[in-house]
Amino acid sequence: MSNNGHTSPKIFSAQDVEIKFNLRGKVLTALRGASLDLYEGETLAIVGESGCGKSVFTKSFIGMLDKNGSITGGKIQYRDEDLTNYKTEKDWLKIRGKKIAMVFQDPMTSLNPVRTIGEQITEVITWHFGTEHEQAKKEAIEILKKVGINDAEYRYKQYPHEFSGGMRQRVVIATAIACRPEILICDEPTTALDVTVQAQILNLIRELQRELKMTVVYITHDLGVVANVADWVAVMYAGQIVEYGTVHEIFNEAVHPYTKALLQSMPQLGIKGHDLYSIKGTPPNLFKEIRGDAFAPRNADAMDIDFEEEPPVFNVTDTHYAKTWLLHPYAEDYRKSLDERDAQIKQEKKAAEPFNYTDAEKLLEVKNLTVKFKLGGKEFRAVDDVSFDIFKGETLSLVGESGSGKTTIGRAIMRIYNKVDGQIIFRDEPITGKLDRQKKKKLHMEMQMIFQDPMASLNERAKVDYIVSEGLYNYHLFDNEKDRLEKVENIMREVGLSSEFASRFPHEFSGGQRQRIGIARSLVMNPDFIVADEPISALDVSIRAQVINLLNKLKRERDLTYLFIAHDLSVVRFISDRIAVINKGRIVELAECEELFAHPLHPYTKALLSAVPYPDPDIERNKKLLVYNKDMHDYSTDKPVWTEITKGHFILANSKELEAYRKEIEKQG
Amino acid sequence: MGKYILKRTLNSLLTVIIVFVAVFMLLRLMPLSGYFPQDMLKETDEATRMSYLRNQGLLDHPVKQLFRFIGNLFQGDLGRSLTVYPKVPISTLLAEKIPVTAAFGFSSMLLGIVLGLSLGLLMVRFKDRWGDRLGTGYILIVRAIPNLIYLFFIQVWISLWFNLPMVFKKDLPSSWILPVICLSLGSIAWYALWLRRFMVDEENRDYVKFALVKGLPKKQVLRRHIFKNAIIPLVIYLPSDLLFIISGSLVIESLYAIPGTGGLLTTAIKSQDNNLVQVIVLMYAVLSVIGVFLGDLLVAAVDPRIKLTEEE
Amino acid sequence: MENNNKTDSSRILNPLKFRAAVFDSMLSEDTGYSNYSYWRSTIRTFFKNKAVLALVVLIAAIIVMSFVYPMVSDVDPNKVSLFITDWNQRPSAEHWFGTDTLGRDIWARAWYGVRNSFLLAFCIALSDVGIGMIVGAIWGYNKKLDPIMIEIYNVITNIPSTVYLVLLAYIMNTSYLTLFISMASRGWIVEARFFRNRILSIRDSEYNVASRCLGTPMRRIATKNIIPHIISLIIMEAALCIPYSIGSEVFLGFVGVGLPVDAITLGNIVNHGRASFTLHPYQMLLPTIILCIITVAFYVIGNKFADASDPRNHV
Repeated sequence: MSNNGHTSPKIFSAQDVEIKFNLRGKVLTALRGASLDLYEGETLAIVGESGCGKSVFTKSFIGMLDKNGSITGGKIQYRDEDLTNYKTEKDWLKIRGKKIAMVFQDPMTSLNPVRTIGEQITEVITWHFGTEHEQAKKEAIEILKKVGINDAEYRYKQYPHEFSGGMRQRVVIATAIACRPEILICDEPTTALDVTVQAQILNLIRELQRELKMTVVYITHDLGVVANVADWVAVMYAGQIVEYGTVHEIFNEAVHPYTKALLQSMPQLGIKGHDLYSIKGTPPNLFKEIRGDAFAPRNADAMDIDFEEEPPVFNVTDTHYAKTWLLHPYAEDYRKSLDERDAQIKQEKKAAEPFNYTDAEKLLEVKNLTVKFKLGGKEFRAVDDVSFDIFKGETLSLVGESGSGKTTIGRAIMRIYNKVDGQIIFRDEPITGKLDRQKKKKLHMEMQMIFQDPMASLNERAKVDYIVSEGLYNYHLFDNEKDRLEKVENIMREVGLSSEFASRFPHEFSGGQRQRIGIARSLVMNPDFIVADEPISALDVSIRAQVINLLNKLKRERDLTYLFIAHDLSVVRFISDRIAVINKGRIVELAECEELFAHPLHPYTKALLSAVPYPDPDIERNKKLLVYNKDMHDYSTDKPVWTEITKGHFILANSKELEAYRKEIEKQG
Repeated sequence: MGKYILKRTLNSLLTVIIVFVAVFMLLRLMPLSGYFPQDMLKETDEATRMSYLRNQGLLDHPVKQLFRFIGNLFQGDLGRSLTVYPKVPISTLLAEKIPVTAAFGFSSMLLGIVLGLSLGLLMVRFKDRWGDRLGTGYILIVRAIPNLIYLFFIQVWISLWFNLPMVFKKDLPSSWILPVICLSLGSIAWYALWLRRFMVDEENRDYVKFALVKGLPKKQVLRRHIFKNAIIPLVIYLPSDLLFIISGSLVIESLYAIPGTGGLLTTAIKSQDNNLVQVIVLMYAVLSVIGVFLGDLLVAAVDPRIKLTEEE
Repeated sequence: MENNNKTDSSRILNPLKFRAAVFDSMLSEDTGYSNYSYWRSTIRTFFKNKAVLALVVLIAAIIVMSFVYPMVSDVDPNKVSLFITDWNQRPSAEHWFGTDTLGRDIWARAWYGVRNSFLLAFCIALSDVGIGMIVGAIWGYNKKLDPIMIEIYNVITNIPSTVYLVLLAYIMNTSYLTLFISMASRGWIVEARFFRNRILSIRDSEYNVASRCLGTPMRRIATKNIIPHIISLIIMEAALCIPYSIGSEVFLGFVGVGLPVDAITLGNIVNHGRASFTLHPYQMLLPTIILCIITVAFYVIGNKFADASDPRNHV
């Protein structure tokens, strides 16, 4: 035990925990013998796809499993207390919140909307320590200050809706640390936040951890976050920890095929013009008994033994272990051959040539587009005077944070709003306003949309067959029933789904499969231009790669043009030819992809780029965050204009700023 | 906030006016025979009757009648009863009856809130156990069976079992018990049903999970977090409770012979007293609009989220 | 890692197994196919509760009986007897539910009453939900209608329901038709608002936006995107309308603006029986029991169906 790399005492230990849920008469084994130790003051990240059991595992630490779930095996120990013996609420109240605290994913829903944030912090202090209310209030204000909330005395009396998402998450964290817990579990604490805010919250947690000497457990699927914060990483799959090690070991010397696959499918590591590494299929169904290595069915390099015997844990180093047969002495040759092959593939891949804009043909022009909405009797501009062109065959990405108006632009192009100001021209014809049936039909055949949420974008009451052929029915694009079925079958095959799936209802499919059904529905019209509205942001990392590859493949084979709407710059860099950055309804900068990453000019773009997480612990820990504030601009007299500052590089700036930007470009050469 | 109140006031005023005009005009459709005091129809000839109608202004254009009615209204003149209490000014009648109905209404409203919310809390506390099932059974009976039927049996049997008076007598305090309880039965079921439903909905929300994770005991979370959120949507419907009680008073007041406005309306209808029906219906309609208005204001006062959006 | 099972030395592993296996991509796409159908699951969940099943059978039997009885029986429910001996007879083999104050057979009257009351309630439910749904759909799709529809809603619902019914029934001469009009003129707006809210959320859902992007005509949006999602609500609302309508009819009879005395409805029978309750309780009790069974059954069925149609409750 002495030489396991941990320098501080062990305070928590979970051994071989098995958790089962009773769901509709069937038994789901959510945890299949997971073990984990926590040491004082350290940061551990638990990584895995949704459904791998990471949330269930940590919930069991504080007795918060859902009613239909129970711990059926193993042991959970906190210091000298055996938590497996805890049965009543009274037992759990001794440690819940007081010793082990938890922060949830969505700050928008974590706070009670009808009580002031002050009350919600104070009540924890008074309950756990029996402090007088006045004293507790003072402490609460102190904590609010500590988590970076200005004017804490005043904000103490405010309600959650008066805070922005990032500020709410600070309040949630303040509540969680109000009792100085020894262990803080953060369940996807930044997933619901914008990138720039995300980085700030991670920094805050790190500072607090140092100050309060807490042990922090992160649950996340975002490897960028892991690289940023973690000392130790545990990779979870199908209810087990499959690999454990220091953050450097996991990122640089991963041995479990699942860990490797997760890392390789990050778009940051992809090479443009090539397929991203992707994990096939979906996580296993935990209602069924799993034989052998749970990951084997999705692992193209699995061995025969993986399907037959469950692998034991092998130590790689003193601090690093993994649960895979690849580490067995018998597999040594095979492992070496795999490593050699991977190295060779990496060398062979060369980035594709950038898109050639010199002879490019304009497909879509957006001129001075403005979209106004009424909100509570007030008019506000979701999109404010936006202009850009899209060339045939390119992928233009529209990047911005939530509420920036990026989706509204996509929907305006798709003619979903009755009234927009400005002009949208497709193939030299204006498409805003009323159109006759023939023109509408033509547009529906040429322009299609892919939606964000694969759960909401498919009609639950219709079979896949109808969903995919909806467009065919609308314009009767088939000769007879046989022809229609054939078309459906072909398109299903093209997006990588079995044609048998056509007779099923959408809810039986996983997120990635549903997204592919959605893509098939659009493709069946044979469009030239596709608006992809955050098509991957609701998906797991491993599934994202599948969908990105599919979109790229379709683009190549069908010569498509994409308007790709996203909030994640790392994905955008991999997929797009040009990038437009949008903030508060206005596009602030537009340039070719590599140009934008190399020479960002607008302070907002710079802030956005500085916050992008990168799956490398060394880069991630040394990055410098830039902060954007709209007060940086003085637009009182000198109004900003949309200007082409160098060839193909557009920026929203006033004359004074333009001058500064020109100087900056000169200096860079 | 001020702007919001003003907007809501104007809105309610518009509704009152529309309701008022609609009801008044509808009643103009009634045959004129309903405007004769008792026996006048038989005893007099055609010409006397016509001149009587003309005198009463009943042959005028409805719009003219409406304006006259409103004019009189502002002078405190509501017209006179025709058949129930011939020639007695309706204002005198109402002045006498409203306090009785109001007393019953308020006491049963109070009882309804207290017992209804307690029952709802009990049902949440013992969810899917006997307390919950009993409550559900009670709600089922009250909401599914026509109220007249159970009210009748309560009057006949319960009064017998507990030796309570079957009809209302002004100076007999025990005669208040049954009518007040009967009047609140519907509200109790209503509050219990919705409080339970809202609380069960709230229970699954993230902030409740977070409150539990903070280490607060379930009881405290139930009281301080869940209840507080579940009660807000109930407040919106508080005026519906008023409607409920008004509705109930029609039956209950005539069952127990309570000299209130509800019973008066039933009697007026049975004896076809057009003037009286008109005034009471209008009164109820206006009262309801005011109730809805107050409910909205109450919600704005209770729910911190509303205040801000209206201020912006 | 003291706990973890180090390579189990007692088991002999075959070195030949440590070689690449054949990759089957279909194995990885396994989703646990369950052959789920929304409607089948709804019906199964609904009937899983045996009490519900019993109620459905009972209510079906009562309704069938009420339609069959008038066809096969030759007892005239309106036959008044002039002999005092025929009046107020207790239940017997000849008169199963006894006779009322005018010597009419209550058993026969009860079945005619069930038929008439149910038909009336059914028509009201049909019109409330039918008109409500159509208006709700138009309302949901036209934001411009908001102010006027909300005002109509306020005007109608701000008058207490009983006062509203009394007022209308009072103005019109009482008949089945006028009773229907007075009840139906109120219910539709409540339903319209209910459906409008549901349709609004469907209208803005992503799958509906997707249909619009594909150019799906309104007709198919209605039949494929909207109706399948609200059909269970339609059934629930219609079922809950029935106890309400029957209750209203009883109430109007009590106030004195119900149907004429010669109309045989549950409301009239109960109100008639109430008058002589102290002397001859059976005259009211027996028809009342039937009435209560009907209203309770529809109330329970409506609510349980709503539960069963929620996919979260599907087994």
